[in-house]
Amino acid sequence: MSSVVEQHNEAAGEPAQAGSGAHAAGIDMRRVLQRETHSSRAVAALIAGSLVIVLCLYVLLESAVRAVGQPPWLIDPQTAAERITALPSGVPPLLLGAAGAVIAAVGLFFFLNAVLPGRRARHLLHDPRIAVVVDDEVIAAALARSARLAANVTQEQVMVVVSQRQVVVNVRPTSGVPVSENAILHAVEEELQAMGPVPMPQVTVNLSTSGVVGA
Amino acid sequence: MTSTPRLLNRILLGILGLKLLVVGVLLILLAAVPAVAAWWHSWSKGVSDSAAAVFEATQFPGRHGSWLWIVLALAVVLLIVLMVAWIAQQGKGRTDLLLAAEDPGGVPGDIRIGGGVAEQALKNALADRPDLAGATVAIYSVKGQPALKLRLHPRPGVAPQAVAAEAADLVDALSEVVGLRTPVLVHIAAGARTRFSRAERVR
Repeated sequence: MSSVVEQHNEAAGEPAQAGSGAHAAGIDMRRVLQRETHSSRAVAALIAGSLVIVLCLYVLLESAVRAVGQPPWLIDPQTAAERITALPSGVPPLLLGAAGAVIAAVGLFFFLNAVLPGRRARHLLHDPRIAVVVDDEVIAAALARSARLAANVTQEQVMVVVSQRQVVVNVRPTSGVPVSENAILHAVEEELQAMGPVPMPQVTVNLSTSGVVGA
Repeated sequence: MTSTPRLLNRILLGILGLKLLVVGVLLILLAAVPAVAAWWHSWSKGVSDSAAAVFEATQFPGRHGSWLWIVLALAVVLLIVLMVAWIAQQGKGRTDLLLAAEDPGGVPGDIRIGGGVAEQALKNALADRPDLAGATVAIYSVKGQPALKLRLHPRPGVAPQAVAAEAADLVDALSEVVGLRTPVLVHIAAGARTRFSRAERVR
């Protein structure tokens, strides 16, 4: 396992170095590519920021209403504090537990967003002149095309799933027409070699046992 | 290629997430475990008593009310401003200038090449290609230097390495015209437009 990881790291460093060599000095293309293949968490940040702003505005509103001496909009700060202090009483336990679960789930969403690596479904392509990132979906479509041509089936009979280290090719052959698993594997691997994504995924071909009639 | 503050995002999201998680778990425990409820009663009683004492000690001289309220309101306003500033940092970094340089020749003046040059040139070169469903060009300022981001949407089944090689040719041609090698990132992307377009069957 460790040898696989090492290989991956070496491979990952290679195109970025080549890229920065070919470009004007000053911009670290390796850093740009690293940023491009990882999520910036801008959406989560937007949600979190808006949430905090709305909460703060509500607190300000209630305090201002109280300072002016008007009746509170939903609850005035003093009563809120007293209710929170008295907590398990005054609120049905089911409601309290449900509210807690919702808040904990939202918290978990933000926390996982912050802690997980946030890798995007993208691969790098080796090109001596420019830095290239490819969506995994594009790679899957290209591999599906070569698998389809090798198996001589229609587009609907091939499904390719591309993840960081793995390519799974699912083929449902036409009934009565033999399909060679080796030929498909060979074609897909050849296409993958020509493409040269980083990190290079491993190819698995699954031939479905049930065929498609009349395709 | 944007200058989104990623580390800050992670830190702030982590803090907020952890706080919400603690509050949520506490609420669940309050609802479910009587022992926690007893602990909460004694603890929150102490906290609210000491808070009341603090407010009592910070009265306006000669008037009813605590000046701590004003401090708290200001703190909340400051928090709102900080949050707005944080949100405003997301996705920044687009610029209009492909090149801004001083002219070393005898004619006084500077040279500015707008991003529209690269955008129009690349878009025109890519416009009538059958294997691409669309292309967008954007210029970002990365650490103060302009960099080009070329997003290409190939139709399903088109080999990305071929698209990348042709994009590299175009970029070479462009840098010859502009006279400066701009760093380029090509993003070969899938999207709604490519997903529903027909596959390229004949090439």
